[in-house]
Amino acid sequence: MQFVLAIRGQFPPGDDMNMRFEELMAQVRLAKQLGFTGIAKSCHYSSSPWQEIQQIPFLARAAAEAPGLTFLTSIVLLPLHKPLEIAEQTAALDLFTGGRFILGVGIGYRDVEFKAFGTGREERVPRLVENIQAIRRLWTEDAVTMKGSHFELDGAVCSLKPRRPPPIWIGANADPAIRRAAHIADSWMINPHNRIDTILRQIEVYKRGLDEAGKPWPKTLPLAREMFVARTRAEAVRLARPYLEAKYKAYHDWGQGDAMPEGDNDLGQEFDELARDRFLFGSADEVAEQIVGMMKATGANQLSCPIQWPGMPQEVVVEQMHVMAEEVVPLVKQGL
Amino acid sequence: MQFGLMTRGQYELGDDMQQRFAELAEQVRLADRLGFASLTKGSHYSAWPYQDFQQLPYLTRMMAEAPNLRLNAGIILLPLHKPLDLAEQLATMDVMSGGRVIVGAGLGYRDVEFDGFGTNRPERIRRFEENLEAMKRLWTEETVTMAGSHFALREASCPTKPVQKPHPPIWIGANADGAIRRAARLGTCWYINPHNRISTILEQLDVYRRALDELGRPMPGELPIRREVFVADSREEAVRLCGPHLAGKYAVYASWGQDKAMPAGDADLTAAFDDLARDRFLVGSADEVAEQMIALARTTGVNHVVMSVQWSGMPQSLALETLQRLAEDVFPKVRQGS
Repeated sequence: MQFVLAIRGQFPPGDDMNMRFEELMAQVRLAKQLGFTGIAKSCHYSSSPWQEIQQIPFLARAAAEAPGLTFLTSIVLLPLHKPLEIAEQTAALDLFTGGRFILGVGIGYRDVEFKAFGTGREERVPRLVENIQAIRRLWTEDAVTMKGSHFELDGAVCSLKPRRPPPIWIGANADPAIRRAAHIADSWMINPHNRIDTILRQIEVYKRGLDEAGKPWPKTLPLAREMFVARTRAEAVRLARPYLEAKYKAYHDWGQGDAMPEGDNDLGQEFDELARDRFLFGSADEVAEQIVGMMKATGANQLSCPIQWPGMPQEVVVEQMHVMAEEVVPLVKQGL
Repeated sequence: MQFGLMTRGQYELGDDMQQRFAELAEQVRLADRLGFASLTKGSHYSAWPYQDFQQLPYLTRMMAEAPNLRLNAGIILLPLHKPLDLAEQLATMDVMSGGRVIVGAGLGYRDVEFDGFGTNRPERIRRFEENLEAMKRLWTEETVTMAGSHFALREASCPTKPVQKPHPPIWIGANADGAIRRAARLGTCWYINPHNRISTILEQLDVYRRALDELGRPMPGELPIRREVFVADSREEAVRLCGPHLAGKYAVYASWGQDKAMPAGDADLTAAFDDLARDRFLVGSADEVAEQMIALARTTGVNHVVMSVQWSGMPQSLALETLQRLAEDVFPKVRQGS
């Protein structure tokens, strides 16, 4: 079982970002030391109310701190970008990570981002599909000629070829997006937002999609969950709540719920209700048991842990990383 | 006087790029140790017939090797990009490096790049200007509302602000007179190009000064220039060692159409090496290169020389040796003499 440290790199306004960045580098080094198998970084633009460390520079720099680990984008908002740019940038990341890079992508949901990149929500699916096609061709073919809806490759060459074409995974919340992941991507990144019962329903959507496409079960199926470990569930909720509640309020304000399936799309609800059957809180035993349950039910074999929410101090993050690696993960491995 | 290292990062097809990257990291560590001031990386997409490393990931990765060097994205092909993307990535890099980022900006000239980014040559000046305006606003204002020709900022923000205030220096690369006037208007300084002859540059500096005068602006405190530089025991030896590699690079520039961006009368990048090198490259013995640099500083007023010392095909040992000779035998003389 692989377990990945998922880094949002989002911090409250006013925080000294140079100091926060140094703390993130310490987290990356600690992750390697503790046996985490990978580092993932998410991406948003115009991320108010948070300050954010941008994804591609972060991963390029972090690769120097933890050689041997897998590095993932979780996710690149692919419809915003041109395929030649992403193919060349990620080929560099592939090289810096010694061929241990995975390109996670998604369609995005925020108008402020679409507009700033000169596109619109209605274009996001076709752009995602053609960008993936173009990136794969650029990585593997000598010269590519292809006319897309928002770019034209005219004998274009990816200046650096990855050691091997990195896997492309799609992060998806809604059923059609999950089906698309089955059809055109190498794996589905199971999102942290949907309730567990929703995920268990959606794994069937994914399986049907694989069957339709005549594709085998993916080598790696990653599962992300928000989690916090303390002596008791009540204490975990008490300690995590201030940070997690603020983070999900921001998701709600940004419209993340609009990308989620009917019946499980209210991220603005009261915290206890939001947390129930969605976030993993409790003692190490309790959290491990919930993870084992989800991994067995879904077939996931990679766990992505977004440990730090905006405002959570470094010492709490470090403590949770130790608890995850030293207590929870061994229990999960036993239970699987 | 500041001395900078430019690593093109362009290598022949078939070269082992993992190995080449390790060599570049060695050059960068050496430059940092030898007291160089900056590391520069250019940018091209679809760099055929070369392999290349992408600029921003490359410079960010090199922060781990060079704790002291300023990091010059020199130049970014600005019209290809969206301002929010660049503003946020460069702000992050400035934060990561504790305020050592330099933002180089240029128009670009290759159709394969314009097409690949869904734009074209006629749009490039407009996109360049509006992108720069949007980036400066994103770096200095809380939220920005601005309609561009290829983007719309609607209360968009760049919440992570650069460490350097109000923003990192913006060096505008320009070969042609119109572009030089634009550099005076929009840039922190003109980033004097590597391709034109010094005699051409002296004429262009008049264009730059007049443009600054018209705008009521002083000469910038920092005036950088890019040059091809190589040091050996003698000029003959230097030409023998670097000539084939440097000439190869300029043949590719000509095939890419770089000469079309240069002023008439100084646009022949296919001339025989001696003709091409004369008054253009800083090549020779340590004493000769020092004299050339001192003369360059005296006549032009430049105070930051960004040097490329390796061209595709040149062995690593020669690049390392040139860095060493520059730091030990050239820079002290230039500091004394300029």
